[in-house]
Amino acid sequence: MSENNGKIILMCTHGPEDPERATIPFVIATAAQASDIPVLIGFQVNGVMLARKGCAEHVFAAGFPPLKELIDIYIESGGELFVCGPCVQSRKINSEEEFIEGAKVVNAATFAKEISEAANVLVY
Amino acid sequence: MPAKFDQELDCSGLACPMPILKTKKAVDALQTGQVLKMVATDPGSLPDIQAWTAKTGHELLEHEKDGNKFIFYIKRK
Repeated sequence: MSENNGKIILMCTHGPEDPERATIPFVIATAAQASDIPVLIGFQVNGVMLARKGCAEHVFAAGFPPLKELIDIYIESGGELFVCGPCVQSRKINSEEEFIEGAKVVNAATFAKEISEAANVLVY
Repeated sequence: MPAKFDQELDCSGLACPMPILKTKKAVDALQTGQVLKMVATDPGSLPDIQAWTAKTGHELLEHEKDGNKFIFYIKRK
């Protein structure tokens, strides 16, 4: 039975190859933070690429601020970034050296717990 | 008739979600009861400000449209 802590989770499964799907989770997340709604962003599949230093700097979706700007606001406002461990390892990414500050590598049980306790989960 | 206000914030030309993010920062800096006048050009800012004030408890005193500008008067809770 879920606890429903009112948190929303935005799962980002697309990376720099899809600027809109990479950007919109952070648009919603920063608006949620501004609205006092607890929020978590998860990176899976190619979304894990966005956690790499220097990646978001190249992502621009029409009609939105630059992704780098949104990620900075999200993290400065206390936002958490959970990154799928197997997706990172299969891409041979050295997360300790390559990831932005605030990105945390987690595995399935962590995601399962967060999802079971959230009010809503949206996948991009 | 425009409401009296204590601070003014111009979000003209800013893309979603920046009007909301900047409004939150400006409202948080007010004293309780003070009013922010916020101007935006994004048409989505009207439902956004309505949703944001409903969620945070700040009061949207009034809103008006002047040409392409959406003007909001928000009272800090």
